[in-house]
Amino acid sequence: MIAHLTQFSRAESAAARLPVLASGTLEVNVRREWLADGVVVLTFDRPRSPANIFDRATLCELKLHLEWLMQQPCLRGVVLATAKPGIFIAGADLHLLSRASADELHGFVELGQSVFNLLADFPAPTVAALHGAALGGGLEVALACDYRVASDAATTRLALPETKLGIVPAWGGCTRLPKLIGLPKALEMILKGDPVFPKQALRLGLVDAIAPREHLLAEARRCIAAGKPLPREPVHLNHRLVAAGLAWWTQRRLRKSARGLYPALPAAVQLVTRNLRLARDRALAAEHQTVLSLTKTDASRNLLRLALLRDRAKKGAPAPPIRRAIVVGAGVMGAGIAHWLAAHRVSVVLRDVASARVAAGLDKARGLFEKSARRGDCTALEARDGMDRLSPATTDTPLDNVDLVIEAVVEQLPAKQELLRRLSAASGPGTVFATNTSALSITALAEATHCPERVVGLHFFNPVHRMPLVEVVRGRATSDATVARAAQFARDLGKIPVLARDHPGFLVNRILMPYLLEAAWLWDAGADPKVVDEAMLDFGMPMGPLRLIDEVGVDVSLHVLNTLAGAFGERLAAPPALQRLAAAGDLGHKSGRGVYVYRDDVAVPNPIVDARKRDEAARPMSSAQMQTRMALLMINEAARCVEEGVARDADDVDLAMVLGTGFAPFRGGPLRLLDAWGARHVVNELIGLTQTHPRFAPCALLQQLSASGATIHNERETPDEHDH
Amino acid sequence: MKHGHLVIVDGIRTPFCRLGTDLRDADAVELGRVAVSALLTRTGVDPASIDEVLFGCVGQPAEAANLARIIALRAGIPDSVPAITVQRNCASGLEALTLAADKLAAGQGESFIVGGVESMSRLPLQFRPAAADKFARLHRAKSLLQKLRAALSFRPADFRPLPALQLGLRDPVSGLNMGQTAELLAREFHISRDEQDDWALQSHQRAVAAQARLQEEIAPVYLRNGKITVIERDNGPRAAQSAKALAALPTVFDTQHGSVTAGNSSQLTDGAVALLVMSERRAEALGRPPLGRLLGYAHVGCDPKRMGLGPVHAMLRAAEITGLTAARADIIEINEAFAAQVLAVLRRAAQSDCARVLGALRSDNINVSGGAIALGHPLGATGARLVLTALRELHHRNGRRALVSLCVGGGQGSAAWLEILP
Repeated sequence: MIAHLTQFSRAESAAARLPVLASGTLEVNVRREWLADGVVVLTFDRPRSPANIFDRATLCELKLHLEWLMQQPCLRGVVLATAKPGIFIAGADLHLLSRASADELHGFVELGQSVFNLLADFPAPTVAALHGAALGGGLEVALACDYRVASDAATTRLALPETKLGIVPAWGGCTRLPKLIGLPKALEMILKGDPVFPKQALRLGLVDAIAPREHLLAEARRCIAAGKPLPREPVHLNHRLVAAGLAWWTQRRLRKSARGLYPALPAAVQLVTRNLRLARDRALAAEHQTVLSLTKTDASRNLLRLALLRDRAKKGAPAPPIRRAIVVGAGVMGAGIAHWLAAHRVSVVLRDVASARVAAGLDKARGLFEKSARRGDCTALEARDGMDRLSPATTDTPLDNVDLVIEAVVEQLPAKQELLRRLSAASGPGTVFATNTSALSITALAEATHCPERVVGLHFFNPVHRMPLVEVVRGRATSDATVARAAQFARDLGKIPVLARDHPGFLVNRILMPYLLEAAWLWDAGADPKVVDEAMLDFGMPMGPLRLIDEVGVDVSLHVLNTLAGAFGERLAAPPALQRLAAAGDLGHKSGRGVYVYRDDVAVPNPIVDARKRDEAARPMSSAQMQTRMALLMINEAARCVEEGVARDADDVDLAMVLGTGFAPFRGGPLRLLDAWGARHVVNELIGLTQTHPRFAPCALLQQLSASGATIHNERETPDEHDH
Repeated sequence: MKHGHLVIVDGIRTPFCRLGTDLRDADAVELGRVAVSALLTRTGVDPASIDEVLFGCVGQPAEAANLARIIALRAGIPDSVPAITVQRNCASGLEALTLAADKLAAGQGESFIVGGVESMSRLPLQFRPAAADKFARLHRAKSLLQKLRAALSFRPADFRPLPALQLGLRDPVSGLNMGQTAELLAREFHISRDEQDDWALQSHQRAVAAQARLQEEIAPVYLRNGKITVIERDNGPRAAQSAKALAALPTVFDTQHGSVTAGNSSQLTDGAVALLVMSERRAEALGRPPLGRLLGYAHVGCDPKRMGLGPVHAMLRAAEITGLTAARADIIEINEAFAAQVLAVLRRAAQSDCARVLGALRSDNINVSGGAIALGHPLGATGARLVLTALRELHHRNGRRALVSLCVGGGQGSAAWLEILP
């Protein structure tokens, strides 16, 4: 990709721009086919790649085709199509975006705008035949066409996800979308970045027709026969007053929800609403200017990097698929895992000791399937088939044809060991044994079996259907093949696997725990829990730490803490307030009382800590100071994970924390934050705090980085070079 | 025989629940799916190794043509495995098994899932043909006048539904319903009301006493309508059944002189059974002891008016085929369509022409775990249930051979010899 970029800047001529393969044939991204009736189909088909993307070469090819076609007198219309099974065009090349210099970006945005303008001004009718994902630039090119027809395939989805990367659509998306579907819906699509499916797109007016893929061309021809469409802007939705009101209201809402942490969102609102009244060139110039200034923000850089890290984690060594699994334990986690597996075409035996527990587990799965069907994520038939794939059991069943056993029983080592010992004794040579433990040692569990090489940690997060992360934990004896199979299975389930070594708490819980405890210490010392939580919401966490303790459960938190405390000593000392909560039976949201007391819809601080009897030693602390304290502890623990080799690298730690805990994505993860703040500053702050308690002592790696002035991440901007 | 006898590897059934009770919300597809799915889970057999699925069902739901195919696919059997639904009335569940044996002998597969299912709760109410014609006319009507005329042609009687259940239990050839054929046998063999009630009472007592053993046959049904609940037990057998209560019931089919009551007839019931059956070679390769094997069988025809005597005719034919007299059976199952009909079978079998071939039938060997009067008779499922129950009972009492038999509406009888593997 970078090769394309530099080649282009060297020579503008078309022939020189197309890279030549060793064999001497041209690399072609866009195929042109002239049909008998004067309709031309331009098919995007990026060589050696499952996806089409817009890089410079593809844009230039499209431009050349359009320029040439414009000269053809007998042309009746142009259809843009894809040759890929599940993707129309997945958008602009992320690697290019993340690495390009400001000048290169400037040129890239301008090139896209000019090519899409060619399309918009094209004399003959143009149709985008959308099959598969049309994302970002892939949808913007379609918006520049006269018509859009979509296939009814399950893979077909349209989205402008740019704001999720901290930028805005800048190839005309912010300008053309509201003209087509009206400002309110356009704004929603751009701010949320969520995909729109064909039926919904038809209702919105985003596409003109839906047809099976095989009939898309016929549908496109029908559009072409109708000629150039009349302008169809929904003027009432785009009225000045509507725009002004909507902009004000949306900005106000964003100040609350995004807390000013994501500059792309208010910028998008301003851009989209203002562009309505601007001439096209000025509107596109505004898009151009906005996106260039946003790419300079840390938020955008961090979000883009996370997207690339996700892509990296989605790739891995292929492994034999898991077709049949047994989930032992039908509690919240077991049922959630069983549902997710069944929804991904795995046959699952859901097992527990009593039929009533199995029934409760199945009922949870049923609820999840029904919800998916109601939300349109799957059809009613698919939901039924998912339930059909769940077979209940209350006794040991043969494992001959079972690829994977996942245990999610009570978090007690002897119980889990006994279960794995019994099941592994009866298993064939290919069965993988996974444990969903969040804290127990995989190695200790594996030792109970005769096949420790096939035992692996597969740590899903609650709620399973929402949380994208799975920690794949390697025990001392776990084989590479088992790790690869578990990781590939997680990917097959649409999850992002992050590898961790077997160390108490693995990655996420380990880094989260000191942070939660610090919040509890602050509360214990007399801080108002609401102020503590509010500080971390301002920091960018999705939920305040004390509220999170209540949601997880005080008892569960203390249980995890106890399993970790042995390994971490005084770093994980629990404040007396938590113990008092547990003793009083105030176990969190589930019991109506925890750090907060929940009455109806309001939560008030639990009087178990007397705010008036404030610890004299605790100085009154500002929100910023609280934020720093809690963030520093996460950074310190995250650095330890790298130091001890628990994580493969700092990137994995960042990805795991963002996906597993919702750690402020715009900050890029705790170790990215470390680099942003600088190791020297972090260490100085920690040392300052160590005087109050030894839990703040900076780890060796931090001190080393502080001394050398190095960063924990490689200075490379992008994680890995991959071609799509 | 190239592949030897058909081996019954394992089997499982849903609870049998009276019509309109615990299982009324599970249709025939769901009951069959639960049984097959539980069988797969329990045996751990690779679904792709199954060569065909054969299921018996008498009243196939209109929305599930070739019920067996739908059950198979929904239970996770790969779509490359074919499936067939068989119907031999009350012997449909046994027919599925014997057809598998035929297929094995013919080289048409070595591994089958067979079984039977009936949701008597879900048998439909039908419109009469005359009413159906009127609906068709209304549907075809184009102009308003035509529509109005078609609509006005309906009469109240058109909306009186025909219950498929009643239609199915009436033999259209003889014109008698099943209960009337039982009354006929009661008259001809001089079987008193008391004898029938005694048999019925014994059926309940035996089923209640055998409850723990019967429970081993059962895979619970997790009902998916609304919040998931578990149905784990048969609800037909009545521990508190008394002779007095039976005696108090009115006769149903001949109110004047009759003796057949709801209490001494089989119950109308929902349930499903699934069996995993294989060639001896395949079963051996599994490396676990199978339930038993099918030695031989016979399906025969007889007088539709006296369909209840079907088991005698079938046993005679089966004796010819296998060379086994009834005396060689450690247990005998005679499906209890009606107490009168079972007693008639015993009397007919004791007559010298039959007894010469069959030997003496010992009543203490017959229906030792109770029968359909207590457990219920989900028509398509019963044949397979008798095989499962008999084989398990043989293991329990260290017996060797069992003879199971059923009378079949329309004038047929079926019998099969089963054996524990030596």
